[in-house]
Amino acid sequence: MDREPLINRKTAISYKTEEKTVMRGYDLSELAEEGYSFCDALFVMYQNRIPTEEEEKMLKYEMGVFMEHSMSPSAVGAIGVSAGRPNLPCAIAAAVTTFGGVHGPGAAHGYMLNKYLERAKKEGKTVDEMAKTLVDEYMDAGKPVMGMGQPQHIDSDPRAEPIHLRQEELKLEGVYLEFQRALEKHFHARRKEEGRSYVGVNVVGSGNTALMEIGFSPNAGWCLGSVCRGFSCAAHALFNMKKGRAWGASRNEPMVQMIDLSMIKYVGPEDRVVPKQADRQEYARKQKEEGEYKKWVI
Amino acid sequence: MGNLTDKPELNQKKGKIGNLNSPKNPFDYNQREYGTVPLDTNRAPFQWVSEVAYKNVHRIVSRGYDTTEVMEEGYGLVDMLFIDYQARIPLIEEEKMLNYVMILALEDGLSMPAVMSRMVARSKTFLTQAAGASILAFGHAYGAYSAFGNRLESYLSRADTEGLTIEAAAELLVEENMNDEALGVSDLMLQDPAAQRMIARAEKLGVAGKYIYFTRKIVKAAQKISDGPVDLDMLGATGATMLDLGFSPEATWAILAVTRAFAAGAHYIEEVERGEPCRTGQTLTPKSFYDGPEDRPVPPLKDRNKNAKSGICHTVDEWAAAREERKKIVGSGHAIIEEIEDPSKKSGIKKVGKL
Repeated sequence: MDREPLINRKTAISYKTEEKTVMRGYDLSELAEEGYSFCDALFVMYQNRIPTEEEEKMLKYEMGVFMEHSMSPSAVGAIGVSAGRPNLPCAIAAAVTTFGGVHGPGAAHGYMLNKYLERAKKEGKTVDEMAKTLVDEYMDAGKPVMGMGQPQHIDSDPRAEPIHLRQEELKLEGVYLEFQRALEKHFHARRKEEGRSYVGVNVVGSGNTALMEIGFSPNAGWCLGSVCRGFSCAAHALFNMKKGRAWGASRNEPMVQMIDLSMIKYVGPEDRVVPKQADRQEYARKQKEEGEYKKWVI
Repeated sequence: MGNLTDKPELNQKKGKIGNLNSPKNPFDYNQREYGTVPLDTNRAPFQWVSEVAYKNVHRIVSRGYDTTEVMEEGYGLVDMLFIDYQARIPLIEEEKMLNYVMILALEDGLSMPAVMSRMVARSKTFLTQAAGASILAFGHAYGAYSAFGNRLESYLSRADTEGLTIEAAAELLVEENMNDEALGVSDLMLQDPAAQRMIARAEKLGVAGKYIYFTRKIVKAAQKISDGPVDLDMLGATGATMLDLGFSPEATWAILAVTRAFAAGAHYIEEVERGEPCRTGQTLTPKSFYDGPEDRPVPPLKDRNKNAKSGICHTVDEWAAAREERKKIVGSGHAIIEEIEDPSKKSGIKKVGKL
């Protein structure tokens, strides 16, 4: 059996021989035999260190509370892909890749915190002052403040504040939590001043703060969150594959299905005749000149 | 909603369109309506139906348990996997065992998921694209947990229905699948004790059951007929342990593919940190790698009929002969057989391979 490497790379993450698999210097089998947890192993992978008990507890909590979120873009993505009955990994991959600039943007939140903390140091401002600067700059520009607000949990995300509280209980408060708390304070104050409704911190705001505090980079934190969600999305896809109908369009189901024809609402150009090839050039030229098509261009 | 009566002029204006007026069509295309279908008021409106979880403004609830309360009670991610997939709280020993399995499944060096993540990373993407891509590496050879698990289920079921002993079922399984990549027995772990240790840990924790027992018998049966030394490999150890923990073959596949994706994120990061992005057209393929047809001039288009060869086979004999020739064209797909079935209920049993 060919066991040659697939690519040639220097890597500081791991190596694998016929005798063992070693990650950041630790034999994986030894790590498991010693009784470390999967969350411990994630610290080794991303931070090259064994975490304190409190840090391990924090990660276990954060990932546990983030894993399942019922119908979010990620679960919907997984279910949608599973409707065609591909192999299960396709549905999971789709779910993980839904995490972008809006759905669970953990890296974006982390980079935002790092950027403003760097500015605090450079500009000689306190954490509180810089948090106010952040809120003002984002809100003046009409940009959403990362980590605030959740479209479904409009009355405060059930995971968010409990994560902050657990971080405090575990005595893991550091500069990130101080900054995030200050950000929330100034955010709430400004919205109140503007007569706007209350918008609470979301799970990215609190969860990612905790992940950054315990040493994960913005991207590592994003990976932990988005991949962790893959576990539950796989369960949703699997439920639909094992107990639902393929395609999601059957007219025999008592409930209208996800892509039943009646679920389609069309708001594009009016129905029109396809031009004959003989008329094509003139038709196309006129269409281009008139330019009405431009309002449909995406 | 538009329909034919709304817009008769559209169909009237069209005249003949390609073959749409052919009497061979089982329909009159010109009589077909335009417009979307009205909402169906005779059936219940669409809702996302789930046995797994729901949420409202204030709570997220999986299998009946509020997930925030689950964490506040001191459970964690690994417990949540039992809740989501099995609708139950695991025993402490089961939670420990799954932690153990997931540590071993986390990283595997520069294996396919890591390589796929790194390749995607080189195109300047989001991390999530790379992590997602790594999951696609899990098939019925690499990370073949569903194929392995469903095979075990299938032969255990045969043992029941055909009155076979477990030993006889194991021998039958090996006899019929000896060279399959998802056997769980191979020469991959002859010098690495990790697979054996995992099984030993499952036994020590008291979570080993019929699947580990059956897998041990499969190892013995394979060793009996194998030409060279073979033993339990990581697929066999991990797959059997997960089944004994109560996870279905598909759940096992999903959980372990996602577990590896955590590491794929680190490989993405390292690739970005240590490598350079790859541009369109940048990568060369040396001619020394190429063993296709010799370089040749493109015939003038006006001579097309002189040079073109028809691919149409008019008899079965012609077809069979052409097929043999086509199999020799590497990359054409004629030399491959696949059985693509609905993998909803069971996946990974059917063969994919060379003819």
